[in-house]
Amino acid sequence: MIYFIIFLAVIVLIILFFVSIYNALIRLRNQVKNAWAQIDVQLKRRHDLIPNLIETVKGYMTHERQIMENITKYRSQAMNAQTVGEKAQAESLLSGALGQLRVQVENYPDLKANQNFLALQEELTATENKISFARQNYNDQVLMYNNKIQMFPSNIVAGMFNFKEEEFFEIKDVAEKEVPKVSFN
Amino acid sequence: MDCPVCNKPMIILELNKVEIDYCPNCSGIWLDEGELELLYSIDKSENDLRKLFEPTESEKEKSYKCPICNKRMVKTKFNNSDLIIDKCPDNHGFWFDKGELDKVLSLNANTSAQKVLSILKEMFSYNKSQEAE
Amino acid sequence: MWELIQSNRRKSLILFFGMGALLIFIGYVFGSFYDPEAGGAIGVLFAIILWVILSTVSYFAGSKIILAVSGAKEVTKDVHPQLYNVVEEMKIAAGVPYFPKIYIIDDPSPNAFATGVKPENSAIAVTSGLLATLNRYELQGVVAHEMSHIINRDILLMTFAGVMLGVITIMSDVFFRGMYFGGGSRYRSRSSSKSSGQGQVIIMILAMLLAVLGPILAQLFYFAISRKREYLADASAARLTRYPEGLANALEKIANSSHKLRSANKVTAPMYIVNPLKREGMKLADLTSTHPPISERIKILRSLQQGVSYKDYQKVFEMIHGKKEKIIPDSALKESIPVAPVSGLANEGIDFNPVEAKREANDAVMKLNDYKFINCKCGVKIKIPPEYNNQIVVCPRCGTKHQLS
Repeated sequence: MIYFIIFLAVIVLIILFFVSIYNALIRLRNQVKNAWAQIDVQLKRRHDLIPNLIETVKGYMTHERQIMENITKYRSQAMNAQTVGEKAQAESLLSGALGQLRVQVENYPDLKANQNFLALQEELTATENKISFARQNYNDQVLMYNNKIQMFPSNIVAGMFNFKEEEFFEIKDVAEKEVPKVSFN
Repeated sequence: MDCPVCNKPMIILELNKVEIDYCPNCSGIWLDEGELELLYSIDKSENDLRKLFEPTESEKEKSYKCPICNKRMVKTKFNNSDLIIDKCPDNHGFWFDKGELDKVLSLNANTSAQKVLSILKEMFSYNKSQEAE
Repeated sequence: MWELIQSNRRKSLILFFGMGALLIFIGYVFGSFYDPEAGGAIGVLFAIILWVILSTVSYFAGSKIILAVSGAKEVTKDVHPQLYNVVEEMKIAAGVPYFPKIYIIDDPSPNAFATGVKPENSAIAVTSGLLATLNRYELQGVVAHEMSHIINRDILLMTFAGVMLGVITIMSDVFFRGMYFGGGSRYRSRSSSKSSGQGQVIIMILAMLLAVLGPILAQLFYFAISRKREYLADASAARLTRYPEGLANALEKIANSSHKLRSANKVTAPMYIVNPLKREGMKLADLTSTHPPISERIKILRSLQQGVSYKDYQKVFEMIHGKKEKIIPDSALKESIPVAPVSGLANEGIDFNPVEAKREANDAVMKLNDYKFINCKCGVKIKIPPEYNNQIVVCPRCGTKHQLS
């Protein structure tokens, strides 16, 4: 009888232990989802700002048609992207094209004095910062979640209930950072 | 800030990041010293505008009070021309009434004053064209 | 991060009750000084009432009072879009659900503070001078520092600490006034009756000591906690922005400013990011400084080359400070994920124009003072003071007539 009770107690403890791991995994996964939603909101905001930007800039920047076409093209690609990886890819291209535009603006003093454009530029800069801060937060959450999935003993629970590792959201900074340097040299 | 001539509130006009105070009632303008410093700090050129003014005695005109410190402004001669404007004794700024402004706009001054003049010319292009008609 | 918040909450409670006990003790001693029989009880009662009233007031209206005393006005996004955006950016970086209210103080001296009891109704206040002197990344650093005070629940701790400091100062003030106006004569009559002996002498010495040292000790205590908070908020800001250089540059600009903050006083001073009550040539200031020396804070931030996690900050702090001292709570040091700083920001410095920043800060102050703004299509910006009572404004550049509604 006494052994049976001990046996039962051990079983209950093990179950409780697994339940707590399971709950921790669920919490982390929700945090990842929530962090992703934050990025998504800002990405959408950027997509919404672009038509406005093109409209304002068009009248001034007559020689930069290629950049503007690229921006429009990458925007629609980004809007149609499905997975995290695809989105990251398309958004990187979009960021790069917007960076090129920003550099070219320096050559159009009239545009730089336009109140409407200045307000839009501030919004765009803010949105890009928000994307990068949301991304930073998201990647931190993904790292914690993935660590939990890989580490013992939570990996057992993760395997049993099919918790899958999430993808990092990496915007390739190469395009967006090298372009300004080139034009300033 | 109130207009030193008619004591009514002035409005502020901004063009190319330069602000001036303008009285819609009497069409006089107030050039703030701080504003001028800001204007000259953009390309770090020296603000030697002050050197262009020399005190003078003129009893013809009534003198006004500085809208910032309320001290009686002094009459100064602008760039050796016959133009006489009001200047705050504590260097808070300059007051141009309507006639003076028109004269200033038709002047060709040296380079350091040119910067202010070009902005004023831009800013009051409509008023000027109205007078031409 | 959660443990850090918990530990700060615990500290607030300990502070709250510890200081309460101290107050009651002081009340007892002061009371006994005047009347050995009933005075102790009256003193305790007086202390408790004062403590309860001031704590309640500060809990429910503390931040409002502080904001009002500082001359801060709440702003919406259109008053200063950049400031609003930067606060939102930091909210996203921190991943918190609450959005602090934003206030601007019309003052040419650059400075900032955060206040509030709960993060849900907290506020960040910055001076117009701050907006006029800092570029976007520096402003981000300052806002991140203030946001950290809110996230770490420093604001509650500081509010209570400030209140306690106030109460103790008032009590010793009352004590001295009482002595001046008549305590002395009563004391003489008591000593002649020789009803109490040695006990009375001890109470007397204790009361004098407490009255003199109480406010000083409370102040030192207040400074001691706020000093650690500043380092911690710097560490959190570096971690949030991943760009310690921004805050370092901002601190440098604030420290080098020649303007003096008009509305600061002894109780609000420790709240600001940089102590606004700087007096030159005072050695004592170092001892009782609410803030660590700015040069040291800047040096630590600039040395965060490898990483910007709490662990890195603690390491660099000890290196620069030259001795071991826990600045970051253990729970934060345990953080497992590496945090790398951002290198070479894409558009830093390109769009900062000091004239533009100054103009925007001035515009924000005008908007706060109910100026109307009209963007004429010819490019002239017309700013109309609320006293202007004409219905029409004519643009002197293009002649457009603007109707004022």
